[in-house]
Amino acid sequence: MENFRLLAPLAWRNLWRNPRRTVITLFVVSVGLWSVLAMASFITAWAQSSRDATLRLLLAQGQIHAEGYLDNPNIDRLMDRPDATLLAALNAPEVSNWAARLELPAVVQSEYKTLPVSVVGVVPEAEIRISSVPEKLVEGRYLSGPEDDGAVIGLNLAKRLKTALGRRVILMITGEDGWLEERSFDVVGIYDADTAFEDTYVFTGQTAMQNMVGVGDKIAQIAFEVPQDDALSGVVDSLRAAAPTLDIRQWRDLSLMLGAMDASMDASVYVWMSVMMVMISIGVINTQLMAVFERIHEFGLLRALGLKPGHVLALVTLESVLLIGLGVLIGMAMGAATVWGLRDGIDLSAFSQALEAFKSGEVLYLEIKPIDYVIFPLAIWLLGVLVALWPAWRAAKISPVEAMRHAT
Amino acid sequence: MQHKGNEMTAIVSCKGITKVFGKGELAVHALRGIDLDIMEGDFATLAGPSGSGKTTLLNMIGALDHPTEGEVTVDGQSLSGLSKSALSDLRLQKVGFIFQAYNLVPVLSARENVEFVLRLAKVSVAERRSRADAALAEVGLQGMETRRPSALSGGQQQRVAIARALVGRPRIVLADEPTANLDSKTTGELVDLMYRLNQDSGITFLMGTHDPRVMAHSKRHIEMEDGQIISDTRS
Repeated sequence: MENFRLLAPLAWRNLWRNPRRTVITLFVVSVGLWSVLAMASFITAWAQSSRDATLRLLLAQGQIHAEGYLDNPNIDRLMDRPDATLLAALNAPEVSNWAARLELPAVVQSEYKTLPVSVVGVVPEAEIRISSVPEKLVEGRYLSGPEDDGAVIGLNLAKRLKTALGRRVILMITGEDGWLEERSFDVVGIYDADTAFEDTYVFTGQTAMQNMVGVGDKIAQIAFEVPQDDALSGVVDSLRAAAPTLDIRQWRDLSLMLGAMDASMDASVYVWMSVMMVMISIGVINTQLMAVFERIHEFGLLRALGLKPGHVLALVTLESVLLIGLGVLIGMAMGAATVWGLRDGIDLSAFSQALEAFKSGEVLYLEIKPIDYVIFPLAIWLLGVLVALWPAWRAAKISPVEAMRHAT
Repeated sequence: MQHKGNEMTAIVSCKGITKVFGKGELAVHALRGIDLDIMEGDFATLAGPSGSGKTTLLNMIGALDHPTEGEVTVDGQSLSGLSKSALSDLRLQKVGFIFQAYNLVPVLSARENVEFVLRLAKVSVAERRSRADAALAEVGLQGMETRRPSALSGGQQQRVAIARALVGRPRIVLADEPTANLDSKTTGELVDLMYRLNQDSGITFLMGTHDPRVMAHSKRHIEMEDGQIISDTRS
C-alpha cells in the first residue's frame, strides 16, 4: 500500500508530461471503446428490430403443427383444434397470445395472371393480437371474422395480378377429396409488408376457407407468443408435454436463417471488438514504449536512488492502468451519452426500401446490455494493461548504470 | 577495517577491482586491479583524464555496476552475490548520489524529490517532511520546497540533488562531476556547501572531478590513469 501511495501520484503526473501523446492515447482508447459499445447497441437494436418485425409479421415465437406438415404442407397433414390439455397449456400465463391458422398452398388468378401463393385462413380477433399484418393495411379493411370470405392480399401481388381493392380474384386449393377447389374472393384489403411476403400470403376468414376445402374445423398451425424470449424454451417444453404427438418448434428452428442472423449479430460485435482491441493494443504499446524510451535515464536515476526493478515495473504498469482506465471511463461515458442522445430511436424510414431486405423496423431503439457495459470496457482495460506489461518489463530490466549513460 | 596510520573506519573497501567491458580483441579494461579504502569522514576527490576509470569506479562503489574481478565492501557489507533488490536496498540505506546533470525527477517538487528516498525507506510522513525541509534549508533552498525542477536554476537543482543525497543519512555520498554544468560562482558555493557538510556533520564524500576548485578543497586526492590509481595523497 505504501508503494502504491508512492508510485500512484508519480504515475499520474508522468502521464501528463507529454499531454499531446496522452490525449491521443485517450482518444484511441475511448473512441475504440465507444465504437464497440455503439456498434454493439446498434447491432443489438437492429437484430431485435429485425427479429421482432419478422416474428410479428406471421412467424410468431413458436408454432404447432401436425407431424410432417412442415416437410409437406398439404391438406393431408392438418391437425384438429387443440384439445383441453393443449388448450390449458396455451391459455397459461406463460403464453401471452396464440392464434389457430389454416394455411395451404394455392393458386390465385386474376383476369391477367395466375400466381402461386399460400392462403392463410385466420380468426381475425386472435390474429390482430399476434400478427402485424392487420396494422399494415394500406387500402380497404381487414377481415371482420372467421366467416368473412373476403381476401386480403399484398400490395405487390395486387400489382402483379393487375387487380385492385373491390375486384375479385379466384383462389384454387386442393380440397379434402383431392380435387382442386376454386372460388372467387373479393379483394377487401391490401397490405404493405416486404415484397416477398406480399407476393406469398393471401388472408381470408378461417371458417370460409375450411368450408371451401371441406376440412371441417381442422387447422394447419397454432402460432404462439411468450412475454419474454428467454422463457421460450420452457414454454415449448410444456406445450410438448401437453401435446406429445404434435410438432412444436420455436422460431429459431422454424426460420433457420433468422436464427443464424440473430446469432451472427453477436459474432459481428465480437469481430469489431477484436479489430478495435488490436488497434488499441498497437496504440498503447507504441505510446508506452515511447514513454519508456524517453525516460530510460530517469529510470536509471530512480534505480540508483533505491527503486527496485519491481517498483519500476509497477510504476510503468500503473501509468498504463491509469491511462487506459481513464480512456475506458471516457469511452463508457461517450457510449452512454450516445444511447441517451438517441433514446427516442433512430428513424430509418428514409431508408425503408433498403431496410426491407433486412426486414428491420424503421425506428431502432439503441440499448447497451448491462453485461456488454461491463465486459467490453473490462476486456479493453485488461488487454491494454496486459500489452503495456512488455514496455514496463523492459523498463524494469534496464541496468541503472546503462540507463544513466543514456542521454537525457 | 583500519586505515594505515590512524584509527578511522573504512566506509568503502575495494580489493583487486577489475572491470572489463566487451570481449576478445574488443575488450576494454576500464579498471585494472584497484585497491582502495575510503575512510569515514573523508572528503576525497577522484581525478584523472576522461576514460581513466573514475565513473566506473564510482559505479562499483555505489553498487550500480559489478566488477569483473575483485570485491567491493560498503559499510562492512560485501556487494558480491547480492541480488538486484538487495543492491537497491543498500543504495537506499548507505549511499547518496550526486550526478553531473542535476538528475531530479521533473514531475516532483524540490521537497518531493528530496522526500523520495525517505518514502522508499518507509519513513513516516511527518518525519520525512521535517527531514526534507531541513535538508533543503541546509542547502539554502528554504522557501523553494514546492518548486518543480523546471522552476529552479542549475545551481539550485544541484543543491536539491545534494539535499536528496544527504537526507537519507547515507554512509557515503558519491558525486560524479557534480559541478560540471555549473558556472564558477555556483561551483564555489556548492563546493563550500559540501565541504561544510563534511566538516560539520562528518559526512564522507567521494567525488569524481576534473574541477580544480573542487580539488582545492579536497582533503584526499586520488589520481587515476588507465584504470589504475597512480597516486593517493592526503593534505
